[in-house]
Parts: sequence; C-alpha cells; structure tokens
Amino acid sequence: MTTRRHIGMIGADAPRQIVLAAGAVPVRLHGAWHGEVSRDASELLGVSDAVALRLLDELLGGAHDGLDGLVVCNDSAANLRLFYVLRVLAGRGRVRFPITLLDAPRGLGAPRERFVARQYARLAAFCSSLTGEPVDAHSLASAATRERALGEALARLRARRVGGECTGSAALAAYAAAATRAPEDAVAFIDAACTAPAADAAPIVVTGSSHPDHTVYDAIEATGLVVRAEDHDAGDASWIGEAADGSSLEEVCASLAREHARRPPLAARSRSRERAAALAAVVSRVDARGVLALARDLDDAPAWDLAAQRTAMSDVGLPLEERVRIAPESAARDASEAAIALRARIVKEPA
Amino acid sequence: MSTERLRAAAEATRFQKAWFQDVAERARAGEPIAIVNADAPHEILRALDIPYVVTQWWSSIVAAKRMSAAALERVAAQGLPDFSLQYDAIPLGEQDLPSDDRPWGGLPQPAFAIAERSGDVTQKIFEQWGERDGTETFLLSRTGADPVPPRWWELVPYRWEEAFGSDRIDLLQDEIGELVAWLEERTGRTLDHARLRRILELGNEQAGWNKKTRDAIAAARPTPIAVNDSMPAVMVPQWHRGSEWAVGAARSLYEEVVERIDSGQAVCADERVRLMWVGRGLWSDLDMYRRFQDEFGAVFVWSMYLAIAADGYARHGDDAMRTLAARFVGITDQLYVPPWSSEWYVKEALSHGVDGVVHLVADDTPGAGLITEALEEQGIPVLEIRANNADQRSSGAARIPERIADFLRTRVSARR
Repeated sequence: MTTRRHIGMIGADAPRQIVLAAGAVPVRLHGAWHGEVSRDASELLGVSDAVALRLLDELLGGAHDGLDGLVVCNDSAANLRLFYVLRVLAGRGRVRFPITLLDAPRGLGAPRERFVARQYARLAAFCSSLTGEPVDAHSLASAATRERALGEALARLRARRVGGECTGSAALAAYAAAATRAPEDAVAFIDAACTAPAADAAPIVVTGSSHPDHTVYDAIEATGLVVRAEDHDAGDASWIGEAADGSSLEEVCASLAREHARRPPLAARSRSRERAAALAAVVSRVDARGVLALARDLDDAPAWDLAAQRTAMSDVGLPLEERVRIAPESAARDASEAAIALRARIVKEPA
Repeated sequence: MSTERLRAAAEATRFQKAWFQDVAERARAGEPIAIVNADAPHEILRALDIPYVVTQWWSSIVAAKRMSAAALERVAAQGLPDFSLQYDAIPLGEQDLPSDDRPWGGLPQPAFAIAERSGDVTQKIFEQWGERDGTETFLLSRTGADPVPPRWWELVPYRWEEAFGSDRIDLLQDEIGELVAWLEERTGRTLDHARLRRILELGNEQAGWNKKTRDAIAAARPTPIAVNDSMPAVMVPQWHRGSEWAVGAARSLYEEVVERIDSGQAVCADERVRLMWVGRGLWSDLDMYRRFQDEFGAVFVWSMYLAIAADGYARHGDDAMRTLAARFVGITDQLYVPPWSSEWYVKEALSHGVDGVVHLVADDTPGAGLITEALEEQGIPVLEIRANNADQRSSGAARIPERIADFLRTRVSARR
C-alpha cells in the first residue's frame, strides 16, 4: 500500500493506528546523538536536551519539508518546549506544515483516560484535516490489521534478540524503520534484521535516555556486549505494533487511552519506582547479565531514576554501570568506557 | 528620601517566621502538614485545615541562609542528582542536614507531599518524599498550554474556559476531586465547599490589591520600593492566599506604596536607569538588587512576584472546584510558555518604562530566547544569564553582579 501523505511525530505517545487510519504514514522524527547545533536553535530553545535542539535544526533547515503535518507529544519537557517554539515559528512562516500538540499524561484512572481519549480524537481530526480522509470504524479496523502485522514482526525481532541472532544496533535500526515507514515496508526490513552478535558477547539491557540513532549502541557492542533489550522509547518501549478495536472512533480512542496507561513507564513522565520495577522485569525476561544506564546532559529524568534502579539491580544481583550528564560530543566514548567497565564487572561476577 | 525597609516586608517576614514556628510545633506534636509546590491547589489544604509549606519558599529560606549547597550535598548522598531542579530538590536535602544547620529549626517531616508534575523531574523529587517513612505523595497531571489566545491577562479572571480550554480544566478539576478524597480519607475531615468558596473569594480580593500595587509602582517615578522588599511582602501573603491575614497584608502593602509615592520617597534618589528582573529571585544574594544604585542610578523596578500576583491568580466563577482548577491549570504557562510569556513580559516592561532587562534563565524554563527576542524588538536591551537561582554554586559561577555592571556600562548606558 502506498500513500502520498506523511505526518511527522516527535515523541512516543501518538497511536500510529489513528494516523494510518487517516491515510497517512506516521514518520517518527528521532534527531541524533551527534552533530552541530546552530546558534539559532540554541537561542530559540535555550538550555535543552541536544536531541531536541537537533530536531529543531532539522526542521528549520528543511530536512522534513516533505511532511504534511507534525504531531509533537508532550512526553518530555524537551519535546513540549520544542512544540512551544515551533508553534511560534509556524506563526512566522518558518515551519511549512501544520503542527499540533498531543498531550497524554501518564497514570491510571478515569480522569486521565478521558482526557487522553479526547486528545486522540483531536489527533484524528488533525490527521483527517491533512489527508481529507475520515477516521472512522472502517478505516481504524483496516489500520489495526496493518499495525498488528508490524507488531508481529517486532515480536519476532525480540525473539531473535533473546536467541542471540540479532544485535542491539540492528534491532534499533529496525525499530527506527518501523517508526518511519508504512507497516508493509517496515515488516520486510524488520525481518531482515539478523546481524548475529559474537558468541561470547555478554547480554545486557540499556536504560536511561532514549537513543535517537544506533551510534552509541555500536560503541557499546564493540566492547563485547550485546544489547538484548532496552526500556527507552526508541526500542522495546516504543509504542509500535499495537492497535485497538471498536465500533466507533470514540470507542477506539477510549481503548487506546487505556492501552496508553498500561504502556511501559518512560523516564520523563513516570515514577522512579515504576521504572525500576519495569527494568527488573526486562532483565529477567531477556536473561541479561548487566545493565548500562546512560543519560544525556540536560535529560535529567533518567538520572533521578538511578537510585531506585540501583536498588532493584542490587536485589537481583546484577551489575549496573551508569554515566549521567553525557555531553553530545563524548557520547560514544563515554558509552564505550562504561561498557568496558560493565563487561569487566560481568566477567568478575559470572552469572 | 528613604531606603528604609518596607513595613509590609518586615511584617510579612515576622509573621511567616512566627507562623512557621507554630506549624513546626504542631507538626512535631503529631498534626499532619503538607509540603507542596507552588502550582498545587493550596486552597484545598486551607479549606481542610492542613498547614502547608511551599517547596519554593522553603528553598528560598534555605538559600538565604546559605545552606543550599549543604542541602544539595545531602541530596547527592542519597544517590540522587544534585545538579537538577535544585529549587525543588533543596528541601529534600534539608531534611537530612544536621539539626544545628537547619534553618529555623528545620522543616518537620510532612505527612503529605503534593505537586503537579511540572517538567520531567518535579514528580520524581516529590516521589522521593513519599519514599520517606511517614510521608505520602500525591501527584497532579500537568498538561501543555494549548490553546494560547492572546492577552491572557485579560481572559483569565472570567473567561478562563476560553484561555485554557475546557479539556485541561476538566482533567485538573477531576484530579483535585481525587486529591480531596485522598486527603479526606487520611485525615477524617470533610471538605466544606462553602468555606472553599470563601477562600477563593479572599484570594481574588488579595489579587485585586496586588493589581493596584503593581499599577501604582508602574506609574511612579521614582520607584518607591525595592524589589527585594516587594518579594517577601507579596510572596509571603501569596503562600497564605485565601486567608484574612493575606488580604490584609496585600492591602497594607498597597497603602504603604501609595504613602511612599505621595511623600516622594524613593529607593534611589538619583534614579536614572529602570531595570526589570525576569526570572526567579536570587534568594542567596537579595542585596544584589540594590548594588547598582550608587554607581549607575540603576533600580530594579520589577520582578515577576508582584506582577504575577497582580495578573495571574484571580478567577471568578460559580463552581468552586472548577474555578480552583482554572486558577492552577495554567499558572506556569502564564509565566513561561511562549507566546504568552513573551507578550506579558513586554506588556509589563512597557508599562513600567524599563530601560533594560536582566533575564535569569533556569534550565527548566521554556522559550527563554523568545522572551529576550520580544523585549529586544521593543528596543529594550536584555542581559541573559543562565544560572540556578537557589543554588549559590551556580549563581556564583555565573558572576551575576559583575555581568550586570558590565551590561549597564556597555548596553544600557550607551542607549541613554
């Protein structure tokens, strides 16, 4: 299936099913670990996660001018700040497409689910206004089928990672493909991701900041580790491949809001205790031998989670190696050093 | 001419200290108290007779006593970051300072920690309170500012549905309802809605006096009061918002300001430069605000504390819970979200006739560049300083007084 419409998404809270139902391809914009940041972006966005600064640069530099619209999720302070700046710049004609905010606060309970469901209905209206196609029960059902096929491919990918048939770096690239292509195109790419790690590579889980690209994973895996799973939203904790059923847009939005409340807790908007419990579940599921926690400078939420995560990993007897306030220019080096230190601890403390 | 301390500031400080000692005594005797952030709906606690201490106020006291660095060391000793949102984190570390080092005898262990989830980190700091024995945490959602119709200061008192959007208000209203049930269950008390309505009315009266005070200062030449006096004179009553004492304090401040204007009293007899301080107060060095009077004739005539107290809090409505939600759903937006923030700072800069702006930019405030840009478009030079206001390590490193002096010599002076 092909489509002429592409809707950009910054952040991880937008249900892809709704965008697909409107006849568009959801294209996640991830930014990058590395690269120059312009003075313009720095002055506009201020003190902010470098990934958000690079996203702003990409958008102002025309790298995403092919998009028909942009959805910015209020899933981190950096993304919300980016939305506010883009809204002002759109008013000045510096952004070429319509922008909307998707606000999906975390937490169980009826008030939050009602609010999120209304936000999803608003997202549907935004997407339809761009494509001219209605989001209704029929289009949502078709989108659900497509999205679930993607989810099945990702489940196969996760199984290959646990089976030692796919590196973390290749998996992250597959997730990026899933987040930026039509499901039919992405499935083939995901199923082709089978770069086997070295036989003696020690399996670990990565926590901390999200990874906008696989450069840091490459540095980690070059030290004799393999990233078997992660809890950030560019990898296993991304909201891809899931969909909801219902006889109307309202029913589907309500169901998606309930699903959103049950998603893995992400650093920026969840409690540290929840994050630590989720990490413990992940390391157990994939039989990891250590955890690497990497937090970018000015992405402080993961740093606040570390105290609880340290306790949780100590309870299960796994080493956790951490680096916080990682500067963009030293990301690969810091990650490599941390990975070497973790590898040494794993060797000393065999499972 | 007078540089004497404002009576309203001295009285507010005296009242607050006595109030705190009383609350601390009651808390140590077993009464529940709460620690809350500035954007939580304090009025619910007042209506339920639960004393509350505001994180930012307590941080300012710790900073003013030069204990913020030591408090942050205690945060780090718990394995938590000492480099992040220090303004909210300092009270957490203060709990673990040696008793002799704790300002005013220290904040007793609160029973309740209540916050709205501003940014990424506030919720985690308040979660840490809940990890301590005897404290439970309640978190309210924080939604983004969308829509943002122009001139919010004209909309928010009555047309708040239009200003903030009904969906956001619905959510916060429901969550305030959850908070009430949570507190009622834990205290055995019942919210008296008539009392809550009266508390809201008193809050509106207080805001009315603050508006008159702000307008009088904006029009006055020379400036009758120093900002380091207006900060406690406004903010202490703000933390008692909805009480008869707070209304009286706001009224006294207005009367004293008018008295000074009428008698020609001035902060600086030779006022030549009028400055605006955008950003949070520099609590660890409040004397800094008056350091430029002798050499430059430069007076800080504006800080956000009086101005937001004038424009930000008044909400009129028939449904107390919804009106309360409307008061808090966008307090942060009004100050920090562009284009609301930039429009408002420009309005305030023009009405106060400022010649220059010192803009203290914290890590967690969005859109700072757009505020600076909007002011400079009006021909007002802006000095941007990136530092944390409550962490003296950060503000010291930023060399704030030296940079302001340089700004006055090179940009503001050159403009006149």
